[in-house]
Amino acid sequence: MRDDLKVGVFLCECGGNISDIVDLDKVREELDVEFIGQFENLCSLNGRKIIRDAIFDHDLDRVVVAACSPISHEKTFQDYVKPLNPYLMDMANIREQCSWVHSDSERATRKAITLINASIEKVKQSDAVDPIYCQTPDEVAIIGGGIAGMNAALSLAKQGTKVTLIEQSPSIGGHMAKIGKVFSPVKIAEECGMCLLNPILNELVWNENIEVLTNTKVIEAERRAGTYNLILEKSPRYIDTEKCIACGKCAEACEVEVPNDWNDNLSMRKAIYRPFGQSYPEAYVIDMDNCSKCSNCVKACSMKAIRLRGKSERIPLQVGSIIVATGHKLFDMEKRPEYGYARYDDVITQSELGRITGVNGPTKGKLLKSNGEVPKRVVMIQCVGSRDEKPDGHKYCSKICCTVALKNANIIKHKYPDTDVLICYTDVRTPGMFEKYYKHTQENEVRFLRGRPGEVVKKGDNYIVRTEDTLKGEFVEIEADMVVLSTAMEPSEGTEEIAEILNIGTTEDGFIKESHPKIKPVATDVQGIFVCGTAHEPKDITDSIMQATAAAAKVNEYNYGGVEIEPFIAEIDNDRCNLCGECIERCKYKSMSIQNDEIYIDPMSCTGCGKCLVGCKQRAITVNGNIDEKIMATIKGALSKKRDGERMILVFLDNIGYTAADNIGVNRLSYPESIHIIKVISVNRVRPRHIKYALENGADGVFIGEFPGDLMYDEVERKIQRAKNRLQELGENPERITFSKVYIPYFSGLARKFNEFDAKIAELDDET
Amino acid sequence: MSIQQKINDSPIEFAVQIINDVKNSKDEGVLKCVQCGMCTSTCPAARHSDYNPREIIERVLDGDLSIIEDDSLWDCFYCYTCHSVCPAGNSVCEVNQILKQIAVYKGIGYDKLYEYLGFADSYFTAAIGAIPEIFFTDIDRDVPGWWDFRQHLDEIRSELELDPPLMPPKDVIEEVSKILTITGFKDKIERIRSAEEESK
Amino acid sequence: MKYVPDKDILLFRSCLVSVEYPGVEASTKFVFDKLGVDYAISEKQTCCTGLGHYSDVFNQIDTSAIGARNFRIARDIGRPNLVMMCATCYAINKKSVKLLNRKDELRNHINELFDENGLSHLKYEKDDLKPSENIFHVVDILYAKRDEIGKHIKYDLSDYTIATHHGCHYCKVHYEDTIGGVRDPNVMDELIKECGCTTIGWYDHKRATCGTGFRQRYSNPDLSFTATADKMNAIADEDVDILVHLCPNCHIQFDRYQYLISEREGRSFRAIHLNIAQFIALAMGGDLDKVIGAKAHTVPIDSVVKDLKEVKK
Repeated sequence: MRDDLKVGVFLCECGGNISDIVDLDKVREELDVEFIGQFENLCSLNGRKIIRDAIFDHDLDRVVVAACSPISHEKTFQDYVKPLNPYLMDMANIREQCSWVHSDSERATRKAITLINASIEKVKQSDAVDPIYCQTPDEVAIIGGGIAGMNAALSLAKQGTKVTLIEQSPSIGGHMAKIGKVFSPVKIAEECGMCLLNPILNELVWNENIEVLTNTKVIEAERRAGTYNLILEKSPRYIDTEKCIACGKCAEACEVEVPNDWNDNLSMRKAIYRPFGQSYPEAYVIDMDNCSKCSNCVKACSMKAIRLRGKSERIPLQVGSIIVATGHKLFDMEKRPEYGYARYDDVITQSELGRITGVNGPTKGKLLKSNGEVPKRVVMIQCVGSRDEKPDGHKYCSKICCTVALKNANIIKHKYPDTDVLICYTDVRTPGMFEKYYKHTQENEVRFLRGRPGEVVKKGDNYIVRTEDTLKGEFVEIEADMVVLSTAMEPSEGTEEIAEILNIGTTEDGFIKESHPKIKPVATDVQGIFVCGTAHEPKDITDSIMQATAAAAKVNEYNYGGVEIEPFIAEIDNDRCNLCGECIERCKYKSMSIQNDEIYIDPMSCTGCGKCLVGCKQRAITVNGNIDEKIMATIKGALSKKRDGERMILVFLDNIGYTAADNIGVNRLSYPESIHIIKVISVNRVRPRHIKYALENGADGVFIGEFPGDLMYDEVERKIQRAKNRLQELGENPERITFSKVYIPYFSGLARKFNEFDAKIAELDDET
Repeated sequence: MSIQQKINDSPIEFAVQIINDVKNSKDEGVLKCVQCGMCTSTCPAARHSDYNPREIIERVLDGDLSIIEDDSLWDCFYCYTCHSVCPAGNSVCEVNQILKQIAVYKGIGYDKLYEYLGFADSYFTAAIGAIPEIFFTDIDRDVPGWWDFRQHLDEIRSELELDPPLMPPKDVIEEVSKILTITGFKDKIERIRSAEEESK
Repeated sequence: MKYVPDKDILLFRSCLVSVEYPGVEASTKFVFDKLGVDYAISEKQTCCTGLGHYSDVFNQIDTSAIGARNFRIARDIGRPNLVMMCATCYAINKKSVKLLNRKDELRNHINELFDENGLSHLKYEKDDLKPSENIFHVVDILYAKRDEIGKHIKYDLSDYTIATHHGCHYCKVHYEDTIGGVRDPNVMDELIKECGCTTIGWYDHKRATCGTGFRQRYSNPDLSFTATADKMNAIADEDVDILVHLCPNCHIQFDRYQYLISEREGRSFRAIHLNIAQFIALAMGGDLDKVIGAKAHTVPIDSVVKDLKEVKK
């Protein structure tokens, strides 16, 4: 009998993360199981010993680990319960979905007990099964051709992996190509950025394992059987890169001049142009939005490389994994108009100063104001758009701006020792070796003022920077003839777009979120997708390169190690199957096919949703793992000790919804203690009888969430509507059931919905 | 001068008191101050007087209760510029108002309020907000033609066909007086008035 | 663009508008009528307490209790949308709604006082009003209807040099709701554009206070007028003819004290001062005495505005 199974429960304090809120002594008192263990960090190796010893000593049949989210550590604990079968362990999530979202200790403790009881009942229904191993394709797509994407591509290619590097602009190189000089904390010197970038670029171009696609974007993505099917859109270049020899005659002939965006619009370029001297592909490109179609270039081109009638092209690409390296953009200065960026010519950004001081820039490296004179005093303003919680600002520190300001101040001082440079800062953040560079900058007679300026205005020929000198406690007006703004780094548009296309999680600031900052710093929350560079968060070139190579290593681990799949998928009894094909028709995930006169089920794409079960007249299909029974047992367990007046809402979420719910906790938002989340393999497996049982036995409300991108979404929505209708027929209020869209990045919305549904249910309870 | 912090001193309590004040709209904003000085950089009073909003927060975070007796507090314009730009999510303008209410509660600053009791009186007795009459002489001196204009206000209003009249109906005045009595406003005003008039 | 109603409006009477620039009220009504805005004025509504509140005589509970009464009146007459002519009324009322919704202790305390003293009919329930959905300034309403302003314009004011002074208590107190933001406030510049005119846009101290500072003007006039002079000088540097306001208190500071500050600075200042409603009403053909209320102004409007030419249709 399953009821006689010996269950052991292990409580994790998580170094106070759990035990500071949940009263674990109280939890131990309330549980009725064979064995209860507790440890400060169960995921540690000592934790493994505690669990293993208890399994032997107490002859445990089943294990419940009440700790963090299974998304964080299910694999760890599946390993720790050896010699038990990994699927005889279940996790009760009392961290992300309890101690991190609730602040009332007593109620959080009640909820933790309920969650653990639900897990105990569930795990009793579990059977031993074995995971399935799959191999994914080796090919990799890297999205973004900046310094991070280039390094990741090169690392993988050198290890023998085929890489497609996808860049939306006409050349790879990214921000680093235009930075001018880069700083080196060890040498305490500025070095030529292009000289460092160029060898990487050359190596990349010659590597046979890398295909570079410029002017190209990912527009669609679909994952099936461990394979990503990407649709790329390649915009026309209007130049045949095979024929073009980059001689530049076309640009000489072109009659249209437009601001040169690569030079931050500080100089002009033609409508037919090469982005910069070392750009790759080594070919010109036509900016068709500005082309006057005069065809002078066509006449001038001796190679006959120009194709004015280009069309964009769709390219399908199949890969096993993806690295997102879509980078950052700089803060839009329109959002801080008080600094006068749009009004005054010589109020510029650090990026523009980089172009002005770059030898390949608009002034060939001379520091000149818009009137052609060398400035007498340059004032730099730090934290523009960073460390600023006001609308349109960013709460985070952009990390590199202090060192960038120091670098540019030093560059000015080397060439123009008579120009006074004053940096207005709140904190100078130069951790580690960069502190030496800060000292070096002070030795160079760069001046520092501690204060955050309020505004920049023009008086006569000069600007006035109004600020407090906070160390003196005095309001000061500083005259300057050039003002440089250290603007925040923010996620690029490409980063925001790709997060949506690939449905990967982002932070509240819009950067791509790593799976775990400590143990999985380059993985995203989607298996097989990795992140590096400034798409992840603000960082410098060194850190971008390190993270890029780490991502490459992780891709190869994945390529060589294969993927482990949970075995809760459909299985065919070939003796019963008559090959009617109904299941193939019904399967939304296209996991069923006929191979060698048998139904073949692709384990990577089957979600165990059970839709095929219902349609099989031969009853030849089963889904492993007692799913129905487990859901019912979980519900029973959750409701078993419900107290009078306690509100109980059951929430059913699949992996995506569950991850979103975890994110609520990770971001320390909150929702009511009544919310109890039950993780299911597919929302479709929640059946009307489950809902009916729950509502008849103490649940006050049922919340079902589904990701609209899931192929079963429409089906589930209809099913829930039917359940609501049924409830109404029974004379109950159908509003006790709700169906909601869930998205991984939109966790705050899910928290809001929990709060609203709880309030709604409270209202209904008050009425009755 | 050296400052000693004893082991049982709890400087943060002052900030917590401010955070818990009903007027505070910025949650734990005070505690998040990093003394960047942007408030002072944009403050009209800092520009033209000894008032320094950053320093106010510095002293609050030091637990320096003597700040409520500092006359410079009363130089704030209540223009809310600091409130609208503070990158850390604090509002010195609100903190200033809270500090003044703490001061008044402790009987400090009555002299600063005395001149404005006329406003309280007109609100209490006529349910109208009005510039206190005590300032009329100054206004008449500083603003050419103002007294004459005020004498003709009714004519100007009737030419503009404005209704209803300035004075609210009797039942409204009674209701408003009652509200200002039960909130403790009336008592407070009388307390300030008698204290000030006695000291003169 | 935030939600802005054009009906069920209680046009909230302002103490300073009533006794200092009554033409602002007449002009607002004139423009609202032209634009088809549904509003009413109630004799039961009383002043927001702002002048007393910001001279520290009124504490929050006094102000919010008075606010609760006014909010009840607005709801009782089916006009839950409060629209303010004065920036301080706007800031005070919005803050009271926020606090009454958010701070249970304050709300319960006020409601208990009402219950115990026979004023239960004034009680405020959480979320009776919403700060962003029920509390507006006249400029919000005008901005939402800006596309319709152009067709009512009668006079061409485009030859004048025009600047705007956006009151702090409209822009800065509840900055999250401010149309055009707080850092370079421009909602009035946009409205003036709809009248066929351009403004000078940014000028030094554009976002700075008028200098009133509530108690500063009367108790600390040196500080007050020095701050005003910053702005007056900047406006004179730009040779401005008309400075447009949205708050009667700023209006007083500039219009009433322009001569005094002129003397203090030893510089003659010549700009006239109009509320945005007065400016639009003027452009729409409102009469100087019967709509604009010119007689209430210290700096004569007709010292600048004369011989208006009609726009060519």
